[in-house]
Amino acid sequence: MAHRVARALGMITAVAGIAAAAAGAADVRTVTKALFAVPSTTGNEHELAAKIRGLLPKDLAVEEDGLGTVAVRLSGPAGPILVLAALDGYGHMVSGITPDGYLTVDRPAAPPHARFDAYLLGQPVVVTTAKGPVRGVVSQPAMHLLTQERRKALVEGFSLETAFIDIGVRSDREARAKGVDLLDPVTYPAVLTELAGGQWAGPDLGMKAVAAVLVDIAAGHRPGPAGGAAVIAWAAQTKFAARGRGARPALGAARAKARWQPPRALIVDVVAAGNGDGVPVPGGGPVLIQAKDEPSPLQQAFIKLAADLRIPVQSLTAAVSPLALPFAGPPSEVLTVALPVRFLNTPSEVVDLRDLQALRDLLGAFLAKGAGQ
Amino acid sequence: MNKRITIFLLALAVSAASAGAQSRAWDILREFVLIPGVSGHEGPAADYVQKMLPAGLKTERDAMHNVWFTVGSGKPHILFVAHVDELGWTVDRITPEGRLRVKPGGGILPQTVEARPVLVHTGRGPVAGIVAPRPGYDARPAQGETPEAPFTAESFDIYLGVGTEAEARALGVAEGDSVTAKKTITDFAPGLMAARAVDDRAGCAALLDAVLRLKPDAVKGKTVTFAWDVQEEIGLFGAAELAKTLKPDYVFAVDTFVSTDSPLESKRLAFLPVGKGAVLRAIDSSNVTPKSEIRRVLALAEKRKIPVQVGNSRGGNDGSVFLAGGAVDIPLSWPGSYAHSLIEKIDRRDLEALADLILAIVAEWK
Repeated sequence: MAHRVARALGMITAVAGIAAAAAGAADVRTVTKALFAVPSTTGNEHELAAKIRGLLPKDLAVEEDGLGTVAVRLSGPAGPILVLAALDGYGHMVSGITPDGYLTVDRPAAPPHARFDAYLLGQPVVVTTAKGPVRGVVSQPAMHLLTQERRKALVEGFSLETAFIDIGVRSDREARAKGVDLLDPVTYPAVLTELAGGQWAGPDLGMKAVAAVLVDIAAGHRPGPAGGAAVIAWAAQTKFAARGRGARPALGAARAKARWQPPRALIVDVVAAGNGDGVPVPGGGPVLIQAKDEPSPLQQAFIKLAADLRIPVQSLTAAVSPLALPFAGPPSEVLTVALPVRFLNTPSEVVDLRDLQALRDLLGAFLAKGAGQ
Repeated sequence: MNKRITIFLLALAVSAASAGAQSRAWDILREFVLIPGVSGHEGPAADYVQKMLPAGLKTERDAMHNVWFTVGSGKPHILFVAHVDELGWTVDRITPEGRLRVKPGGGILPQTVEARPVLVHTGRGPVAGIVAPRPGYDARPAQGETPEAPFTAESFDIYLGVGTEAEARALGVAEGDSVTAKKTITDFAPGLMAARAVDDRAGCAALLDAVLRLKPDAVKGKTVTFAWDVQEEIGLFGAAELAKTLKPDYVFAVDTFVSTDSPLESKRLAFLPVGKGAVLRAIDSSNVTPKSEIRRVLALAEKRKIPVQVGNSRGGNDGSVFLAGGAVDIPLSWPGSYAHSLIEKIDRRDLEALADLILAIVAEWK
């Protein structure tokens, strides 16, 4: 009898979770758009952190650390668990100002792939300064004047060595008068492209969408039966590798583990999809990623929950990502739940809104129902 | 006074009364750069030109979408011409996976649109797409691996968000549709911007502004033709069509001066700074302007206190196709950094100086 009651309560909670998710159907898109507009690169996460704080309910106490990580605690049956997402995206920053007012560029962290810097050539960019955004373009040589040799050197050989941002001034003094300073983040303008088939594309869209899912869940969370606190954290400096021997974990994740010491960790991340080599498939639902091809309680709980809720999920065995690395192995149990992203780590990351909604529904139901207890 | 002049003067009188003498070139440019007009697909751009011209003005438009009108009579016959077409692509075929393969339409670096949004201009309106990054873009090449194939317009494809050819066609996409970059305007400061298609919408805007500010008595004693032509970027074809019927004594082609005012380029030629005035192209790849004509233009500019720079650069101009017919080609410009890119840069002062120079030539050229 007790078992039946518990099961019925569980179903009611799950249904309530879905209802809450359905009610928030428009919200996760709205929140995604709101976060998408805010630049956030490693070491320059403060504007996105402030935006997230502003979107969270006032009655939730916000925890922060010295690097900019933001976290809240949600009471309910899912805890104790750490649910961790990144607050930072890959990007560039101002490394210098030339006497004639052009900005030179560097990266705060290693690029995700070898072509990452090459996307800058000939593009509009935004330099986020203490005085506000400054619009600029990354210089490119005029086609008419390029010899084959110059083309090879300047176009095919483009690198940060030849990346100069033109902000429409003629001296370093004028550049500084606009508010430009060393370390200011350099990002692409937040222009969202709406594609057919319910897909959105834009720079850093995957990371912003994942962050938005957790904001939307936290904003709509209603305390359930006690089970311990779930800590929802948006970690700063996750693209920066912690130093040390062996594998290099994300600094923000390593700090999160040290701070909260969770027995279980749920990493909410992005994963490259649609490369034509099978799983993950965009539109196929959130991706459950484990390092070993062995069932884990957390993974099984998510598979069951997804089946109960009829949410499609995909499973993938892959090397542990830097974000999950600090939690790999006992005493922690870790599962990565990832949003499939086409053209990941390019200026046009494509997100299928069905995946976005499914991720929101799945995580929302997990935090409301507490699967895996 | 013949009927053609009467209609023109009436139209201009109405136009001048409503617009006053303030230059509108900058506002026209900002609006015009956003209108698609890939070479061979200039219909909407030609529509815009005709819409902006004074009401009642009788313009001509041919099957290619060249638009022009002529006023006045007598010698000399002066032609001003700017091209409305822009760089872009044309849909060549739709793959079974619903992606688009394209043909290039002029010189734009393919690398600068890799993983960037574009618009496909279909019969049912624009459809957004993304130029797919090259396969394996995120792989780390192994040492000694064969260098990857170059990324070219012929090799890239456009992702629309669909997975089959039928779904792509259901969006209205078809072979032959034009494709442009999804355009944004970068405002560095008031009066200084960068955008795709400044080449040659700035020339078009300067011509339109000059027409809108033209005083009715300025065209006495000469014949003046204003033309907005097509297919310049793929071989001066629109100008060549006009040259079959128009036989000017002087042609002032109004187009970009490819400037080396940028941090990457050698300053040994074409270094005319942005913001220092309109430009007279002394030599480019298609024309050598006679020194005597350069001196005449400079004297006129000095008299009217219009800042003008003289330089040599590369690239052709529409005026060159009128040379064989007996015209003297005097190309006018503004200094344009980053020509043929998504970020063509222009200063409002240069554009307005260019429009002023056109007005001065109309009024005083003999």
